Amino acid sequence: MLDIAEAQDEGERPVARLDIESAPGGLRAIASGPWTVRSFAEIHAAIVTLSVPRRKRAQAAEINLSGISDLDTAGAWLLNHLRKRLGTNGIQAFISGGTEAQLSLLSVVETNTVGEQAKRPRQGVMPLLGDTVKAIGTAIEDIVRLTAFLGAVTTAAARTATRPWRFRWVSFVYHVEHTGLRAVPIISLICLLIGGVITQQGIMQLKYFGAEPLAVDMVGILALREVGILLTAIMVAGRSASAFTAEIGTMKMREEIDAMRTLGIDPLETLVLPRIAALILTLPILAFIGDIMCLVGGGLMAFLYLDISVRVYIERLHEAVTLQHFVVGVIKAPLAAIIIGLVGCLEGLSVEGSAESLGVHVTSAVVKAIFLVIIFDALFAMFLSASGF
Amino acid sequence: MNGRQRDKEIIRIRGLSKRFRTQVIFEDLDLDVLRGEVLGVAGASGTGKSVLLRCITGLVPTDRGRVEIFGREMAALSWRDRLAIESRWGVLFQDGALFSSLTVLQNIQVPMREQLKLPKSAMDELAHLKLAMVGLPPDAAHKFPSELSGGMRKRAGLARALALDPEIVFLDEPTSGLDPIGAAAFDRLIRSLQETLGLTVYMVTHDLDSIFTICDRVAVLADHRCVRTGSPAELVSHPGHPWVADYFCGERARAAYR
Repeated sequence: MLDIAEAQDEGERPVARLDIESAPGGLRAIASGPWTVRSFAEIHAAIVTLSVPRRKRAQAAEINLSGISDLDTAGAWLLNHLRKRLGTNGIQAFISGGTEAQLSLLSVVETNTVGEQAKRPRQGVMPLLGDTVKAIGTAIEDIVRLTAFLGAVTTAAARTATRPWRFRWVSFVYHVEHTGLRAVPIISLICLLIGGVITQQGIMQLKYFGAEPLAVDMVGILALREVGILLTAIMVAGRSASAFTAEIGTMKMREEIDAMRTLGIDPLETLVLPRIAALILTLPILAFIGDIMCLVGGGLMAFLYLDISVRVYIERLHEAVTLQHFVVGVIKAPLAAIIIGLVGCLEGLSVEGSAESLGVHVTSAVVKAIFLVIIFDALFAMFLSASGF
Repeated sequence: MNGRQRDKEIIRIRGLSKRFRTQVIFEDLDLDVLRGEVLGVAGASGTGKSVLLRCITGLVPTDRGRVEIFGREMAALSWRDRLAIESRWGVLFQDGALFSSLTVLQNIQVPMREQLKLPKSAMDELAHLKLAMVGLPPDAAHKFPSELSGGMRKRAGLARALALDPEIVFLDEPTSGLDPIGAAAFDRLIRSLQETLGLTVYMVTHDLDSIFTICDRVAVLADHRCVRTGSPAELVSHPGHPWVADYFCGERARAAYR
């Protein structure tokens, strides 16, 4: 009735077949060939489109398995399906000619065939609403947790301040190297490029007013007040907040933090304080380097586009820039450092047992740190301009 | 079983050598796996039980030696033939290795999707069948792996390994991390599936209870090779190697063997 070619790696092509013939007392269905998952689609289609010869007395059918060379669970499921299909036509089907193994497989498959499949839960509007409310709740909770953590770290810092010999100097120096020294090349490069881009764009736009040299004033003030510190803070948030979360989170995952607590070691004192202290020291230095590189980039562009010599450029900067601009920029650095350090360490400590959780928290540390640094910078700018700096 | 050809050795390893940099893992290792048996591979930690499994399944390249599966040498096959052979075995990794972004049902359907063209309804039916055969409740079908317990993840992983009705199943420490009752249930499950589906089971384990209850033969890895093979009872009566003696005749083995 149907031939199903089965591709075999040996090259020969055994065929799964289902033949229906009439027999005394009803029908005989002869299954032969490999009834396996590889012939599933074809056999299934054949069973679905099976046309049962209409006979008045066809009430019983024999399903003969003696020709089956190979039977797996999919094949057994199909045989059961065939039996049910015949049953809906009012034909009582029985199996014959199967080996013991085949029959036991058939019965195992039959007992395990699920009549009612569990439906996949559908997503409606209400869960979406619930998720939104939950997300807002989490955001508020985050703020509370971060504030509480700031308090905890401050107390730990105060405790350490009274016993300075307990401060982890080795760890501190290690983190100064990793968050500070090793970030110098990338921050220098980024600031150089952005300083150059700002100057070049300034020159292009100010050209319409014939005020190209003012581009130097612009880059000087912009670099010192905003760009240097903001770029540096974002880079450090990306580099170090993620590193802190990954380091502390790995320790949390392996229960090292719990082990520390049982040994009477305060994780805040040993893990969090040295990291935040290192950032507080390095971020202003990095911001200063960033400022200088921005100005260098600006000078380069001024030289290329306006033919302004280095000496003239520096003189022009002297006129445009005051110490106040620099201070406004660099004073934000230690505060940004505290934000980045707190977020990184808190996310690390929030990691739960699994590797997925670590990944989630590293991502969220970077996102939150950058987000908070920018928010903080905007607030600071508003505050300073309102107070006349 | 099931009328499949009955050559005795389904996996044949000859002279397998493998080293990582300077660390020798295997030196001239020979091992046979017979069709239709449950072979337990035991050995101390670091003797390369899992590495051997990875060498056989081709996840780790070997340095020297032949690995023949179904009578074909794996290294000599084109990737197309290799793929055809690879679909004739299933692997259960230690923690199930389920894809975390897919539900259990979708996980079981991955091999069907990749290897065969089946209608969606048929895949659902077959996946539910496999799910029931490994003893998972129907409502586990739409859960994600992270929502399952360790034992359920292993069962789901086994269902995925069985998705295409393979001839060989490789199990990497199937009972590790399960409580004794769960481990015993998993052992029984493996044995009953092996009997009904006519599987050959290659099982990395150091669970003495599994070895004594379901393994037909045990292969012991030590000194960079397979030092002993035989039924658990033979190894108890004739250890023939100090580690085997320690392992099979120690306190815990005696309790498990009883």
